[in-house]
Amino acid sequence: MPKYLFIFRHSTDPQSRPSPEEMQILGGQWYAWMQKFSASILPGGDGLKPGGRLLKGGIVTDGPYVEAKEFVASFSLIQADNYDAAVAIARECPGDNVIEIRELGGYA
Amino acid sequence: MNEPRDLVEHFFRHEFGRLVAVLTRSLGVRRLELVEDVVQAALVQALETWSRRGVPEDPAGWLYRTARNLAIDALRRERTHAQALPRLAEDAEREAAGSGDPRRALEAHFADEIGDEPLRLLFVCCHEAVPAESRVALALKTLCGFSTAEIARALLTTDANVQKRIERARDRLRELDVDFDTPAAAQLGARLDAVLAVVYLLFSQGCHVTHGDMPIRRDLCAEARRLARMLAAQSVGDVPTVHALLALMCFHAARFDARVDLDGAIVLLEEQDRSAWNWSDVREGMAWLARSAVGDELTRYHVEAGIAWEHCRAPTFADTDWRRIAELYDTLDRIAPSPLHALGRAVAEANLHGPQAGLERLAAVPPESVPARYPGWHAVIGELHFRLGRHSAAERAWREALRLTTARADRDFLRRRLAICRPDIGEPAND
Repeated sequence: MPKYLFIFRHSTDPQSRPSPEEMQILGGQWYAWMQKFSASILPGGDGLKPGGRLLKGGIVTDGPYVEAKEFVASFSLIQADNYDAAVAIARECPGDNVIEIRELGGYA
Repeated sequence: MNEPRDLVEHFFRHEFGRLVAVLTRSLGVRRLELVEDVVQAALVQALETWSRRGVPEDPAGWLYRTARNLAIDALRRERTHAQALPRLAEDAEREAAGSGDPRRALEAHFADEIGDEPLRLLFVCCHEAVPAESRVALALKTLCGFSTAEIARALLTTDANVQKRIERARDRLRELDVDFDTPAAAQLGARLDAVLAVVYLLFSQGCHVTHGDMPIRRDLCAEARRLARMLAAQSVGDVPTVHALLALMCFHAARFDARVDLDGAIVLLEEQDRSAWNWSDVREGMAWLARSAVGDELTRYHVEAGIAWEHCRAPTFADTDWRRIAELYDTLDRIAPSPLHALGRAVAEANLHGPQAGLERLAAVPPESVPARYPGWHAVIGELHFRLGRHSAAERAWREALRLTTARADRDFLRRRLAICRPDIGEPAND
């Protein structure tokens, strides 16, 4: 079965962040989503800590969050029959996420 | 590891305020925005991690460590080795060195650090240099973890306006480099009014949830009472005004259980089971009310506590002393004029002299001060029309109230009222 990488992006705009109360609700919804699709969600997904390093042309900078409008907050590995099925899973994901869905090449 | 749903209700919001207060003490009031940012980021990280891997055994400690480490990272990035950095880093090192059980050390730290921090932060938010209209917004944001939209609904204003108020407050605190630790007793006294206004607003928000599923957010009410009790235990707060506010909150809290039925629906005062009222809250309220009745200052809290007491002491709805309540509302409107007090007065009038008299009271409120966006206003108008048999007018008012209401229990209540409206006899069908 093909595998897909879900890349979750969040906005860097503080205004768009959920309030603590909304976050609590999101936590429960997110957990329910993980439960519902536990057969499709493969181990290995994770959240990413804020900050990071950017290596470009031999120069290391802090980043990539500084000027970006969105940053990658977490990722999941999903197995699904096809893109439509993968998108259907993403659609049910709670919260106001931007989710980039990419099929794994399976080269490695 | 536990499931995320095992977290106590409002855990995130509650921890937000606590962590902001604790970290503000270490980092200083001028870094309030940074503190809020790292606490927020820690919550986001918790959300990501906990929903994937379960809730850790000590979620509060997890959040504290994460927020603190994020703060250390942020300060290092700025390369401004503020005084706060050593303080925080030392704490992190102590924990890393972890003689024995690091969790025990952390708990000790918590017990030592938190104490009165939320109350202190509340006094900081109410600093006299902060514009009055900004204080409440800042306190609700930093201490109570409300979103801008939630604050806007509570203060009957717009998101943009709230955002502006909060920014102005933060700017002022930064400019003045306000100290978290040592506001003098005299300053505390001067800030007391604003502090009480915030506490009362927090309580009212809990009683009248403006959106979402819960008809009453008891944790907000409990937090407001906790802050007020703590205040009354300090010399600056051991004053009749604070006692009156405590009495008022007790009398309201006593009726919580009866205000909501088993399905979470709102129950009108006249239909409430008075035996379900919490009489230990009433007794506590009476004790505070007695203590508040000294000195020569009559505050709005005294009068409001008096009104709430009148409701509590009536054995049945029919026995309510509406004349006394009407007088108290008149006094209240004199001390603290507000269209909402006029609304309460109109309800008393309607119970004394009939719905028409109540409607006339409301009609006498100058149009410019009618809170058109406040659903309760329209709900009462609807109720009074309904009692007069004017179902079409009632329906119009209730529809308007429904349009302005976002809280589910309130919406359900209004829908139930709308369902009993019938077209008026004799009125054209297309009305």
